[in-house]
Amino acid sequence: MIRSMKKSVSHIILLAYLIAILYPFLFVLFSSVKSDNQEIASNPFGLPSSFHFENYHEAWVNAKISTYFINSLYIATLCSIATILISSLAAFAITRMRYLKISKGLYQFILIGMLIPGNALLLPVYILLKDANILGTHLALIIPYTAGAIPFTVIILSAFMRSIPSELEEASVMDGLSAKGIFWRIILPITVPALVTVFIVNFIGNWNEFLMANYFISTDELRTLPVGMVGFRDTYNTNYAQMSAGIVYSIVPVMIIYGVLQKQIIEGLTAGSVKG
Amino acid sequence: MNKALRNPMTYVFFMLPILVLYILFFIYPMIDAFAKGFTKWNGIGTPKFNGLKNFDKAFSDENFWNSVKNNSYFILFSVFVQVPIIVFFSLLISNVKKLKGLYKTAVFIPAVMSTAVVGILWSFIYEPDIGLFNVILTKIGINPVMWLSDTNWAMVSILITNAWQWTGFYIVMVLAAILSIPKEIDEAAVIDGANGFQRAISITMPLIMPIISVVIMLSIAGAMKAADIVIVMTKGGPGGATDVMATYMLKYGITNAKYGYGNSIAVLIFIFTLIITAIYQLLIARRNERVEY
Repeated sequence: MIRSMKKSVSHIILLAYLIAILYPFLFVLFSSVKSDNQEIASNPFGLPSSFHFENYHEAWVNAKISTYFINSLYIATLCSIATILISSLAAFAITRMRYLKISKGLYQFILIGMLIPGNALLLPVYILLKDANILGTHLALIIPYTAGAIPFTVIILSAFMRSIPSELEEASVMDGLSAKGIFWRIILPITVPALVTVFIVNFIGNWNEFLMANYFISTDELRTLPVGMVGFRDTYNTNYAQMSAGIVYSIVPVMIIYGVLQKQIIEGLTAGSVKG
Repeated sequence: MNKALRNPMTYVFFMLPILVLYILFFIYPMIDAFAKGFTKWNGIGTPKFNGLKNFDKAFSDENFWNSVKNNSYFILFSVFVQVPIIVFFSLLISNVKKLKGLYKTAVFIPAVMSTAVVGILWSFIYEPDIGLFNVILTKIGINPVMWLSDTNWAMVSILITNAWQWTGFYIVMVLAAILSIPKEIDEAAVIDGANGFQRAISITMPLIMPIISVVIMLSIAGAMKAADIVIVMTKGGPGGATDVMATYMLKYGITNAKYGYGNSIAVLIFIFTLIITAIYQLLIARRNERVEY
């Protein structure tokens, strides 16, 4: 009796926490189909009286969410692939090629990156991009995003590759494969699960990045979704229904990815360094 | 036999791309910040060396100290409010049988979202006229609060939003540690007649101290990193009330093109982060020996 009461108290507290997490999403979802600010203010909790899906159309077309969305998709995908490609090459060299002392040193050197506070690099990287004349172009995000994920990606991929038994590549050497052949045909295919994890985690990180995207790009056409959304709020701040539709657009892709791949995402994110 | 895997040219070819990018975007900027932090420079022409002047300026600058203070609010809130909540909910979730998976999946959702979008979503909730909070306050007869434009409330509002976004992330980490404790230990305690609370305090807690220690360190690091949430929600306002070191640096360095002074603040962010990590390592991390089951 007391036992079951305790259990239900636990569930009540946990459900309250769950509501605190999920309700803001529901609030935005409902607001996104309401007619105007007045309806949102007078009826903040309930469903709208009639569904105004045109808010989604307005946000997508007039407020250029479509442009921001495509920019984000393109940058996040490209950078995640680029990071994985160069990091897997390095992880292979570090863990599988026989230069143990140099490799150990280089690995430690790359690990330092995890200790450097990212915020402190914003200004010097800004100056570097300015000097290189690429500030204000998409390259000003693509290169730092690709570079920024290196330490985390190398750690995860190295750990994975280290666990692959060495008999595999010894056999391949006997068969006459070169180092490149072993990398492409033997090690990389085995590493696919780890590659998927780091791709997803890096993709989410790049998709969500705000500070660099905000300061390194100044043309509206080139903006990414998070920055575009902030601009949207500042410009259209009288129309909360449309803004909510915009928020839904920014959330849906990550929600879908998270729904499908939560295990990989949780493992990948908690293995990396993060904020809170 | 080792020939294929002992090819210096291939090794260089494999390592070069990553090393170039890494040095260019991690090591060089760090060194550059240290070099330019000691100069007067507006971005045009050559930086002029001016010794410790920038640091002198920073240390006598009230607004800079205010941003340091706000960073420490972030840290104190993370460590003394968020961490206990994290541990409490992790213990709670680990003890329920039903819905465990749901709780674990749901609490993590805000952590995969863009901080910018979280910031926009919460500014909507804090909105003075039609935001959720004020609508509720008005309905129960309490005067509405200007959450983000009131100096007394702006920082608190941001801290709550930040906690909303990241608490679940750490819960999942701590939960994983709790669930990996062998069941036999707990079962033995049940046989000895220990109740749930006693088991949580004297068995689970000591066993998860190492992960709590990691969570504390990560949340301190996270508190030093939080800047996007501030830019999105208040831009550091009202009147600098929510500025943190990083947003202050961006204001000077990028918006006002005072690169010399901005870089000296970047250097101070490095140093402060290092000092905090060192203090933490000395005071707490060393006491937490590894736990073996």
